[in-house]
Amino acid sequence: MHREFICIVCPNSCHISVEYEGTNIKDIKGDQCPKGRDYVKNEITNPLRVFTGSVLVENGDFPLVSVKTSSPIPKQYLKKVGEITRQMKVEAPVELGQIVARNLLNKKIDLIATRKIKKINKKNSLLS
Amino acid sequence: MAAAVACRQKGIEDILLIERGAYLGGILNQCIHDGFGLEKFHASLTGPEYAQRYIEQVIEKDIPFLLNSTVLNLTPQKEVIVINDKGLHHYKAKTIILAMGCRERTRGAIGIPGARPSGIYTAGVAQELINLKNYMIGKKVVILGSGDIGLIMARRLILEGAEVLMVAEKLPYSSGLPRNINQCLYDFDIPLLLSHTAVDIKGNGRLSGVTIAQLGKRGGVIPGTKRRIACDTLLLSVGLIPENELSRQAGIILDPVTGGPQVDERGQTSIPGIFACGNVLQVHDIVDNVSLEAEYIVEGVVEYLEGRLTKEREIKVELGEGLRYVVPQRLISRKDTIFSFRVNQPGQHKVLLFEEGRRLIKKKSLRRVNPAEMVRVKLSSLELEGIKRLKVRLV
Repeated sequence: MHREFICIVCPNSCHISVEYEGTNIKDIKGDQCPKGRDYVKNEITNPLRVFTGSVLVENGDFPLVSVKTSSPIPKQYLKKVGEITRQMKVEAPVELGQIVARNLLNKKIDLIATRKIKKINKKNSLLS
Repeated sequence: MAAAVACRQKGIEDILLIERGAYLGGILNQCIHDGFGLEKFHASLTGPEYAQRYIEQVIEKDIPFLLNSTVLNLTPQKEVIVINDKGLHHYKAKTIILAMGCRERTRGAIGIPGARPSGIYTAGVAQELINLKNYMIGKKVVILGSGDIGLIMARRLILEGAEVLMVAEKLPYSSGLPRNINQCLYDFDIPLLLSHTAVDIKGNGRLSGVTIAQLGKRGGVIPGTKRRIACDTLLLSVGLIPENELSRQAGIILDPVTGGPQVDERGQTSIPGIFACGNVLQVHDIVDNVSLEAEYIVEGVVEYLEGRLTKEREIKVELGEGLRYVVPQRLISRKDTIFSFRVNQPGQHKVLLFEEGRRLIKKKSLRRVNPAEMVRVKLSSLELEGIKRLKVRLV
């Protein structure tokens, strides 16, 4: 089977042309670095993406804390993780890198904070 | 922040960073998606994480900064008037680095006819409302324009539970990065309609629908292609404009194509000692390049402060076919120089030529070019030695 890919690993956006059977790559053209080959391999076996989103915070200097999955997750779970983050709430303070949720969907998906949130009186919110 | 940190690293002691917003990092704070920092930090960071790396350096290097502070005036004598909650402040600097970023083009700038209901946002405003302020902006969304922020917001809206009906792009190619079309649209089966635009907006109070039509080769609406799309939200991702109100006030000469100051190879504007970098100079597609540009122009800032940035020559960089713009627009010394370009249209197997009259100075092959992707090429002082003219073109 023949398929064209646009690699999403970096802004080079390599256009990669692949000839494959099942999960076996027979011929690959256009990948400018080894990450391109890995990306294509993942795409034809189990496409992975990092989920990024935000979660409500109580008593923080921002009303939301931005989060991401600690590692790339199967693409089909993105929307489900989105549904979960829309229901969640965490308490300030939050440290950058802090785990805010564990083992989502029982798939060992952890969410980590991508910014620091200070605990603050609601009146002093930066975005009142 | 990148420029301030680089100045400190070069031994400049007296620095002041002036920020209009309530926090450092600007727009990066609302860009909560990942993919930043691949070149600079060899990691795929989110916007807030990328900003944090610089915030930490600013604090560690003890660089003073003002928040919630607006510059009201900038003079050619490098005087700055700042207002904040402590009052009006007057600073006299030896050198100034402009790093004000850019603004979004709005509905007014692209002139879509029709009603003026609520529910129409620029993509960046929607991003701020959803990612920082916790307001959801709508349920059924059409996105006009395929700039990167629009693409990123298409995915974001889906993950926040909205329905994204389509992205309509006026041009026959996308103005966003291919990787974003892939991971933000195709991953979620959002159609990208090229050569399509909005020709009417309906709604009384709230937006109720947008009329989309296909455009012909000359840009006119193809008869019979109009169709009404029912939606409650329209996002505009139709371009960014460098924010140069202050530069204009100071009398700095701007480039009509980039919208940023005309600069020499050190990022120096038409007023000696005033420099520009980042999106205020030219709109970038990758933040890493913004930081690298800031670090690059600081070399000139240091030379200026030490009285070493002298005008040895004045060469206007001429623009030939295939290119929309080039930065810098002129050369004044004999230094290694990074040139930035954007091409006119997508293409494959192109060659970028640097020429002095008929003499070829340098050529660079480009496998694939795209107006969405800035091209950067470095020429050494040796290659630029002794030239009288310089023309760049893409063939």
